[in-house]
Amino acid sequence: MLIPRRVKHRKQHHPGRSGAAKGGTKIAFGDYGIQALEPAYVTNRQIESARIAMTRYIKRGGKVWINIYPDRPLTKKPAETRMGSGKGSPEWWIANVKPGRVMFELSGVSEPVAREALRLAMHKLPMKCRFVQREGGDN
Amino acid sequence: MSEIKLTAERRTQFGKGAARKLRRAHQIPAVIYGHGTEPVHVALPGHATMLALKTANALLSIELEGNSTLVLAKDVQRDPIKPVIEHIDLVVVRRGEKVNVEVPVHVEGDAGPDTLVTLDLQTLELAVEATHIPERVVVSVEGLEAGTQILAAAVELPEGAELVTDPEALVVNVTAQVSAEALEEELAEAEAEVGIEHEESAAEVQTEEAAEATESTEG
Repeated sequence: MLIPRRVKHRKQHHPGRSGAAKGGTKIAFGDYGIQALEPAYVTNRQIESARIAMTRYIKRGGKVWINIYPDRPLTKKPAETRMGSGKGSPEWWIANVKPGRVMFELSGVSEPVAREALRLAMHKLPMKCRFVQREGGDN
Repeated sequence: MSEIKLTAERRTQFGKGAARKLRRAHQIPAVIYGHGTEPVHVALPGHATMLALKTANALLSIELEGNSTLVLAKDVQRDPIKPVIEHIDLVVVRRGEKVNVEVPVHVEGDAGPDTLVTLDLQTLELAVEATHIPERVVVSVEGLEAGTQILAAAVELPEGAELVTDPEALVVNVTAQVSAEALEEELAEAEAEVGIEHEESAAEVQTEEAAEATESTEG
């Protein structure tokens, strides 16, 4: 699973969720991709589950790119704890994804295979997504 | 590539309010500049322009107040989610002039067995005549073995085109496919780490039940 090796601050504020993606909104490496349509925090487990789902479907045929990285820690206080006494302990690692961001890319497979593989991967993600593909005028 | 004709209207009002008004009327705000001319702010028809820009490096002929100008799209600002073009920068070109453009690379053919073809460079920057911009550069990978690398210098360019991209840049990489066993092992390891468990299929359950039944009868 993706996890930062070292961070400057172990406990951080929740990252902002407003606005759209500023970059990474086009397909950069592969031929097909998954684009986020809503803002969401995507955990490293969800990223890994999506990667496994699409890799299992395409088998040995293609190449997968992951364009997001879970570099933000989220904390949680233990259950039945009174408020106060400082911030909880780090519990999750998340990528802050904004609408428009192309999160996964795929190449080396036919379009129907890519559609199905990415559909399976989309079910592992916590937001509405859509299938996108490279177009001539995008370059 | 043939020219695509578009009729433009000169813009007199500027700012986000005027631009949004144009977009509501299915027009696209644009600016034309280049060759030392004063920038001209225009409004283009939305649908026709969107269709024209579906082709990479489309050469546009803009009809403005009786004059026709040849232009290339230098920058296209698109909405990240909606299929809307927000603004276009158009650069003036002249017939016979050489321009630098990013031409898409297209891979053709089937590489050798058990190989994976990766396109490392999606476009090549070429210096070509503005009126003869190739739609794409074709790279054949027919029968190539794993470990083969095609550099930019080795790509066959269309007639009259000069390579601007670094000739040592890697364009196509043919690698060996990961073996089925190695892939299965890697996925099983990843699944164990995430905690994914596979449900047993009905056939497997039936076989297990049958095996148990035989054991009990024997015992």
